Amino acid sequence: MISVQNVTKRFSNITALNAISFEVQRGEFFGLVGPNGAGKTTLMNLLIGQRSPDEGSLTIFGEHVSPDDPSIRLRIGFVPQAIALYDELSAHDNLLIFGRFYGLDRRTLKARIDEAMSAVQLSDRRHDRVKNFSGGMKRRLNVAASLLHHPELLLCDEPTVGVDPQSRNAIFDLLTSLNAGGTTIVYTSHYMEEIERLCTRTAIIDHGMLQAEGTTRELLRLLPFDETLSIKRSKETDGLEPALKQFGEVIVDQDKIELKPRSNTKISDALAVLERAGVMYSNIDWRKPTLEDLFLHLTGRRMRD
Amino acid sequence: MKSMVALIRSYFMVFLADRAAVALTFIVPIFMIFIFGEIFGGSHPESSGIRLAFLNLSNAPVAKKIETTLDSMSTFTLVRTSKNKDGVSVPFDTLSIQDFVRRGNAPAALVLPVDAFTDTSVGLKVCLYYDPRNDFEMQIVQGMLQKTIMQEAPQVFMQSMMRQAEKKLGKAGSASFSNDIQTAVNRHFPGAHFTTDSMLSLATTNGGTSDSVGRGIVKNMVDIRMEQLVGKDISNPMPTRSVGGWAMMFLLFTLSSVANVLIDERRNAVFVRHLAAPFSRGQILLSRYIYSTILGIIQLVVLFLAGTLLFGIDIFSNAGNLLLVIVFAAAAATGFGMLIASIARTAAQASALGLVLILSMSAIGGAWFPTTFMPATIQALSKLTIVYWSMEAFMVVLWRHGGFLDVAPYLGVLAGIAAVVTALSVWRFSKGQVLL
Repeated sequence: MISVQNVTKRFSNITALNAISFEVQRGEFFGLVGPNGAGKTTLMNLLIGQRSPDEGSLTIFGEHVSPDDPSIRLRIGFVPQAIALYDELSAHDNLLIFGRFYGLDRRTLKARIDEAMSAVQLSDRRHDRVKNFSGGMKRRLNVAASLLHHPELLLCDEPTVGVDPQSRNAIFDLLTSLNAGGTTIVYTSHYMEEIERLCTRTAIIDHGMLQAEGTTRELLRLLPFDETLSIKRSKETDGLEPALKQFGEVIVDQDKIELKPRSNTKISDALAVLERAGVMYSNIDWRKPTLEDLFLHLTGRRMRD
Repeated sequence: MKSMVALIRSYFMVFLADRAAVALTFIVPIFMIFIFGEIFGGSHPESSGIRLAFLNLSNAPVAKKIETTLDSMSTFTLVRTSKNKDGVSVPFDTLSIQDFVRRGNAPAALVLPVDAFTDTSVGLKVCLYYDPRNDFEMQIVQGMLQKTIMQEAPQVFMQSMMRQAEKKLGKAGSASFSNDIQTAVNRHFPGAHFTTDSMLSLATTNGGTSDSVGRGIVKNMVDIRMEQLVGKDISNPMPTRSVGGWAMMFLLFTLSSVANVLIDERRNAVFVRHLAAPFSRGQILLSRYIYSTILGIIQLVVLFLAGTLLFGIDIFSNAGNLLLVIVFAAAAATGFGMLIASIARTAAQASALGLVLILSMSAIGGAWFPTTFMPATIQALSKLTIVYWSMEAFMVVLWRHGGFLDVAPYLGVLAGIAAVVTALSVWRFSKGQVLL
């Protein structure tokens, strides 16, 4: 459905995207993950045709995307990162305005507005002005405004920034059900847990370059360890770092020390070091690696550094 | 104290970082002072003056002297010819000079008729045809003309009177008559030290209109026949003359705020949603242009209707042409608003830029003062403004009740301005720097 081939985009002397290539198949829930400034929004702008790439090609539904050819956008929905609503108008009027952009007739539009309002659980607030909404309600309406024309492809650019857990879950549920109904979704985020929860396939980008791409399982296989030993920091853990390093990669955080053991490590040896230091069993935890770990492994830094 | 200094410094830093605020604080007032200073400062050596159509049919020396004086005055630019239908300049006659004023080519015409002043005349006769399209300007024209005529006429008049006396009474009788008058006047006005020679030079000392003895005499000697050629039927001339300029100024303010809305949209991301919708950039801009033009048309119609209700301005007798001018003026002003939106990066910048341009265009375009009061360079600049051409077009329609052919040239200029400023804004938008 989407084909991005060697796409490069520069702004003055800054290369926002550097020879990015990936494909998204129909019906996928595709994640684009990377820290702020990685190039996610630039990529989204190229996908909706706001800008043209400097190099490479970009096709959706087999057609080249261009700012000068808006017809393709009839089949695409876009949830912008910022809240793109008229504050002074009611929720209903906002949807009315944005629905009309797609040429829906009056009856269809009315039905779609009812449907979208219900989907984001704002039916009872439809006639309230948006400026009186909470941040989470605005976010939900921001998503609803992009669904009225039943797009085949939905592009979501960090749609849950600053959202309360309730609204976040509501948005996740809505997107999951849309995807289950056949809508292809491209979802950008710098929250790895969102990507892991929602996406069937993910591309990790950083500094405008594609670092890795695949399903979560495929991506995690790129890590040289299967599990992580997490030790809560206490006075007993002080000075343990050199001793633990013989078993694998050690990362010292503010509240914990993480050991990502090499595949040939005997865990019992590592546990023996901890036991000798007097670390309590209750302060030791095993956890599965995450995409955050992968990002750290690939780039040498955390997503939110 | 140190912390207070730090606080004050922070205020200055924030102020200086806001270019819009700096412009509003310094540039706008300086520009306004310049404009007002140019208008009321008094001396404009390069001023081209008020156009005065002039026709001298008299052979009298006084007529020639008046013509020479008017020619030398910076207040007036004398026009002696007009173009005929073949585009050839031909000298005025008594009818064409009136037509020249009726068509709005000059605010007044001065005709010195064949019998302006003859040896048998008891006074000077002149005809002033005028179009009081601008009250302020007309008062200047009339005042300066009266001053000039009063200044030049009396001396010649007295010489003529003396010649007539010599003809009737003979040289000796005339001298005796003058002495008798001199004696009689000095007897009744002791201390006046009146002589016939002093009377002859009366006009040249105080312009003939001072507190001299001859003032009343001279006044009665000049017969200025004034005829208003345009606007006689207009019941409320002052509002009719000024409504166009004020309407245009407020239209520009409205469209400048529309520019701010466009910038705000960019900021609050609704614009991104527009770009993601099935519109091309051209369609978005065109939609914005059409919306703003319609808004401008509605605003102008409402303002003119308010003028009708409040001041009895007649907008209905020439409603079709008025609507045409409104549409073209709104289209040109919309282009101007779009240009501001395309240049400014923030709403504050748009406000400052809009304010500077609106006040400048209103001032030099003639919305506040007649452009003839301004130096020639500013008069030339005024013709680049929407305000000037819109006001002229409104005057043609409301003041002169002109038809389509009369107003068409003004519509053409407004369309040209609209095309240029809109093209400039589209070029700026298409650069992409502005849209995203």
